[in-house]
Amino acid sequence: MTLIRSRLNDFHSLPFRQEEVDFAIPFLDEDIPLYVDPFLLWKINSQQDNSLHTSIVNSFNQLGHLYVNRKENETKSILIELSECNEVGLGNSKTRQGKKIGNKTADEILALFKSIPQINKQGFQHFEEIQLFVDNISKDRISDISCSLIKSFLIDFTIEQCQKLGIPIEKCTVLIYDYKNQKVKTEETYLPVNPDNKQPIILTPKRWLRYVPWINYDDYFESYYIKDVDKAFDGKLNRVQILNFNRNNYDLVHTYISLKEQNTKALTNDPLFSQIPVLSAKRKLASILKLQTGKTNNADKEYEDLMVQTMSSMLYPHLDFAKEQSRTDSGTQIRDLVFYNNRSYDFLKDIYDTYDSRQLVIELKNVKEVEREHINQLNRYLTEQFGRFGIIFTRNKVPKSIFQNTLDLWSGQRRCIIVLDDSDLQLMCEVYESKQRHPIEVIKRKYIEFTRSCPA
Amino acid sequence: MTKEQVDIFEKLQAQLGGLHTEITALSKKSQNEALNKFKLKFINQILADANILLDDKYKPFNDFDLFDEIEMPSNSDAAMMLTQYLNCFEKLRADNIKKEDKFPQNWFWIIDGKLSTIRTVMPKIIKEK
Repeated sequence: MTLIRSRLNDFHSLPFRQEEVDFAIPFLDEDIPLYVDPFLLWKINSQQDNSLHTSIVNSFNQLGHLYVNRKENETKSILIELSECNEVGLGNSKTRQGKKIGNKTADEILALFKSIPQINKQGFQHFEEIQLFVDNISKDRISDISCSLIKSFLIDFTIEQCQKLGIPIEKCTVLIYDYKNQKVKTEETYLPVNPDNKQPIILTPKRWLRYVPWINYDDYFESYYIKDVDKAFDGKLNRVQILNFNRNNYDLVHTYISLKEQNTKALTNDPLFSQIPVLSAKRKLASILKLQTGKTNNADKEYEDLMVQTMSSMLYPHLDFAKEQSRTDSGTQIRDLVFYNNRSYDFLKDIYDTYDSRQLVIELKNVKEVEREHINQLNRYLTEQFGRFGIIFTRNKVPKSIFQNTLDLWSGQRRCIIVLDDSDLQLMCEVYESKQRHPIEVIKRKYIEFTRSCPA
Repeated sequence: MTKEQVDIFEKLQAQLGGLHTEITALSKKSQNEALNKFKLKFINQILADANILLDDKYKPFNDFDLFDEIEMPSNSDAAMMLTQYLNCFEKLRADNIKKEDKFPQNWFWIIDGKLSTIRTVMPKIIKEK
């Protein structure tokens, strides 16, 4: 059974939501577009996280020390090995497979320990500084190196979470950096595995994740570099030249790091999903209500775009948004909204049990009147992962004949299709604002109405 | 009516009046907004007691007993229904009270067919006239 953008818990039919757990739920076929920011580990008020940060930096500095002490090739191969951590699945990869750094980049990184006297003497305090000295090093690399250096802790964290939530774990081998012997070694352990490719999966705490690390090249260039450097260098130099400049003027970088250390008020982890504010939801609703039905002036696309943002926010946290889907069906492009059904609400559990709905599909129809063909179209999608339950969102009240059609579908095939319209959307928006009820209850109401109309 | 029924009546009427004031205020602010489950639970409790007291004879509508939580009734729905109940309560009261013959002609409840000593106010319908 192929789920759309399936996650680890969906595969194992475990009904927890992203909001409830401490880690980012990994996708099975692609990466989570967030990164571990070592600066967060440094900042968070937790001795454990701070020690882990120290451990990352110490291990990294130790590598540099080895490099300086003529174990160049050995150190380079360790760094290359540490530069990718596929098990955590963070980044932009669509396949959960990343590439390691090359010999040249590893050499450039480690050479910093020779070329910058301060680093040679004291080592790094925040190793993500290497982004400011070496080309082709960015957030994904920093995140992966950090995870590789504390993989042992992450494995323990993963095992603990898996035991707590009942995620199956299997015996597997992973590469781990041995701090004491300065070697990368293979270790047998128990981890959840990706059912598609049998690759082990390591979970990462949510509190460490950010879209962009606190120290990064763009921030350095935009908010610090121009102000303090002679105008001759004002952005006209290319990146590599600026990186060279940084290497030769370490004090400037050091001051930048100190400033970033002092100004950490705004530093927080990024949420995996954030709802749109009420005002924005109201504006979107007003735009939807004003929209013409049909395809004039791309009204259908606009309707879909507005609905994607509104629905994903309104139904959160009860339903985690999976994907908006574009595909061509009978000549028209159709975009569905797909949600993971985590059975977090009695009604959701009901449709899971009754209709095998593992993912919830919402069809958007910017039409004046829903027709039989629209119902049939959704009915055709209702296979496997979607189970036998679907929702159509449209503009106007559904005609009686079409409602009867949905009832007939239930009588004949035990499939449930409910149709909601602008008035329901309006009510959802009102309760989203007033917080007196949950927007998902509007869908539940429609579902109960439907069930009550079904022949006994 | 019995003495116990009069007691219950007075309590329920006061509660309904209080709810009515609250919900009407909410309804003026946002009439279409759904009432939350907490309020709905208590409104339904009072309506259930009121239904027993009013019986079929005085109940505002034959096909309404309680609010369905799933239907997500709005503030104005609840305000409207509470007004109906208050009016029916008044009708029940008006049918069960009487003015004493002698001066100062106060109004008293009729309990078990006899004029009691439990005082009340005159029916609103007369007051308004």
